Amino acid sequence: MIRRNRDLDRLREGRTELENHYIDELVSGQVSRRDFLRRGSMIGMSTPLLGAILAACGGSSGGGGSSSTGSGGSTTPKAGGTLRVAISQPAAAVNPLTVSDAGGLCMLNQTGEFLIFDSNEKLALQPMLATSWKHNGDGTIWTFKLRTGVTFHNGASMTADDVVWTFQQLADPKNASNALSTFTGVLIPAGVKKVDASTVEFHLEAANGNFPYLVSSDNYNAIIVPKGTDYGKWQSNFVGTGAFKLSSYTQGVGAAFVKNPNYWGTKALLDGTSFKFYTSQSPQILALQGGDVDVVGQFVPFGATSLLKNSSYKIIALKSSNHRELSMRNDMAPFNDPRVRQAVGWALDRKGMVSALLAGYGTVANDYPFGPRFPSTDTSVPARSQNIAKAKQLLAAAGHSSGISTTMKTEIYEEVPQLAQAIAADCAKAGINIKVDTEQQSAYYGKATYGNSDWLDGTMSLVDYGDRGVPNVFLEAPLTSKGPWNAAHFHNSTYDGLVKQYVAALDLSSQRQIAGKIENLLLQETPIVYPYWLDGLTASTPSVGGLNPTSIAQLYLNAAYKS
Amino acid sequence: MVRYILKRLGLALITLWILSVIVFFAGQVLPGDPGRSVLGPLAAASSVKALDHQLGVDQPVITQYWHWLTHFPGTSLQFQAPIGPILTGDLGRSLKLAVFAFIIVVPLGIVMGVVAALNANKPVDRLISVLGLSGTTVPEFVSGIILLLIFSIALKLLPVTATAPSGAGFFTSLKYLILPVIPLVLVLFGYIMRMARAGTIEALDSDYARTATLKGLPRALMIRRHVLRNSLLPTLTVVATQTGYLIGGLVVVETLFNYQGIGKLVVTAATNKDFPMLEAGVLTIGVVYMAVTLLADIAFSLLNPRIRLAAAE
Repeated sequence: MIRRNRDLDRLREGRTELENHYIDELVSGQVSRRDFLRRGSMIGMSTPLLGAILAACGGSSGGGGSSSTGSGGSTTPKAGGTLRVAISQPAAAVNPLTVSDAGGLCMLNQTGEFLIFDSNEKLALQPMLATSWKHNGDGTIWTFKLRTGVTFHNGASMTADDVVWTFQQLADPKNASNALSTFTGVLIPAGVKKVDASTVEFHLEAANGNFPYLVSSDNYNAIIVPKGTDYGKWQSNFVGTGAFKLSSYTQGVGAAFVKNPNYWGTKALLDGTSFKFYTSQSPQILALQGGDVDVVGQFVPFGATSLLKNSSYKIIALKSSNHRELSMRNDMAPFNDPRVRQAVGWALDRKGMVSALLAGYGTVANDYPFGPRFPSTDTSVPARSQNIAKAKQLLAAAGHSSGISTTMKTEIYEEVPQLAQAIAADCAKAGINIKVDTEQQSAYYGKATYGNSDWLDGTMSLVDYGDRGVPNVFLEAPLTSKGPWNAAHFHNSTYDGLVKQYVAALDLSSQRQIAGKIENLLLQETPIVYPYWLDGLTASTPSVGGLNPTSIAQLYLNAAYKS
Repeated sequence: MVRYILKRLGLALITLWILSVIVFFAGQVLPGDPGRSVLGPLAAASSVKALDHQLGVDQPVITQYWHWLTHFPGTSLQFQAPIGPILTGDLGRSLKLAVFAFIIVVPLGIVMGVVAALNANKPVDRLISVLGLSGTTVPEFVSGIILLLIFSIALKLLPVTATAPSGAGFFTSLKYLILPVIPLVLVLFGYIMRMARAGTIEALDSDYARTATLKGLPRALMIRRHVLRNSLLPTLTVVATQTGYLIGGLVVVETLFNYQGIGKLVVTAATNKDFPMLEAGVLTIGVVYMAVTLLADIAFSLLNPRIRLAAAE
């Protein structure tokens, strides 16, 4: 015991105040080992250091290391061969600035790399093209040390100039950059500064404790490209720094990649990969079952029972923050009374929904956007489970003892139409009669601005939200007074203030404390009901190993093999 | 004859132009906008505006139409790539599938129709008619899924997709097309067989057939020389009108068998308001359709001396 503390003391020397604060949290049991790794890596503590601290506190380091864990199974790694993968067809040009769909972002990560890799499986942010990062004490300036000896597929070496250029393009409001939804209010082009050939500084618009996530693989547009890249033509060469480089890309059909012999890290085991594009899920599953592909990159449980119930395929399930939001117009009757909104929350049988709609591959959610994927979630807040009597009681108290009738707008996307029906069925039991209006996505989203969109204007509106590494977007865009996707029309200045505090908070215990306040406030107000969190699913034949998917549909094949 | 063809070509050009106007202007009421469909529902409004401006879709419709007309075929808004290569690739794949389907279904439909007619109201006729009509009523996605489950998943005899690996030879790519072609053959067989059957029965019943029989012509020769030539005329028209379906209407089969054809291309372009792509796709289908109907009309006149085209003017 004494010796262990001495080890820890030695490790503590020279650590910053914040780092020592995290170590205190770990020692006192306030944070789990998993959360410690995640948070420590975020403020720039190295993986070996984190491992040593964990070891000093007892037990093995867990996580860390650089080899891919991928799917389990008894296969042994084998070099060579070509892996065949089915993914969704990229919805538009594969342009790092504009890509916004699962197929497109999976293409980006085949040849492109990020400053940081956020692995769902390894519990921590891992260095990729940046080797270390730290902030100036209040989270307003972040400094990144870049990896040296990295070359692009076009032969040029990667330096701070390329990194600065990449982020200036992504943060430039004049560009049609998809990353602006992340960087607006956080980073402007002038804030990205080169210090020397291998050091870059980010001067933020406001303090941000989660900034490393925003330049990690979570921000899928942020692959580092050579300075001066013509983004519109990137699709013809896919120049990045990754373990594979482009061999061919055929619009709407597929793409092929070959091993990059000059890769800076451990070279790929496979000789190459071949991707086939699909416009719907069932042909991908048929292709796996028919032996036409080895891997289905990402799929949802809905319509995939034949695969999920067949034990001869490997399934990788990752906890993700992919979820659905049922917003209710807080400014319109009948939902302008919080009791009516709470009644909807109490009426739902969320467990039943997870098992019926997701084949069990999901987690029941409570009515706020904190879930199992985020370490800052305050898990002590009690969850809502179905209670029809309570829902009826709340409705009666709000003056609707004879029930209410309303309509819900929703989109044709994965299991969302079935979820809408399940919600309507549960609500009917409590006397809330919902007429479901299901639309094609383009009609549902409309112009995606207030007054021009069923999504944002509907009395009730059910929409999908993809996975994010931090809850910031979920907390801001659909819930703050100035949020661009506030379909609930929820305006609450206490809430706005709490979110600002949450975003700026640098250490986990204060983030969690604010999260608890936000959770209680949102349960009380219930502007939005959150039925469940979906798992991210990847499937392969038994002979495949070393796959490294992320819950936002990226698929890293550096360590993949076919035995 | 030459004058007739020139006249038809002139009319075709006007028809195509009107088609382009209808698609462009009527398509404006489609929901959504191109910038939004590229960047996704969650992108910042300012990014969408910037992209819409880059693509020129924030300009007046007339300006956009003029720009399209003068830059034909142009660049896809969605894929930010020239339309020509994308379209020719997809058209090539669609034609391959359509020609393969035609090569099987046209002779099969005609032979079975004639056999049914020669055995009118006998068990053979009943069997062919019932099977043919049943095939027509089964939707492609149903027959397609059943075929996939039997031949690809259970027996593993045929590939599960229609797209052959790149660099595959002619016969290999045919093997990949066998399963997708069967649902199309099932759908079309009923039509063609019924038309051939009805035409043959009518021709058999005609005065000239009776005369031929009475003058002592052997039955086989009478059928070949007098009956078939007349009975195939309506069939020809039916076959020609099915090309539109076979080139542009195969979205379901293309999706199920993961085949990037022109049908899928047009649907995607319409859902994303990718007008240059939509126009190019629709006009290509229009051109193929008109070319085939023109060929059918010419063949019609050659088979039927009563309608000499010059006299039709």
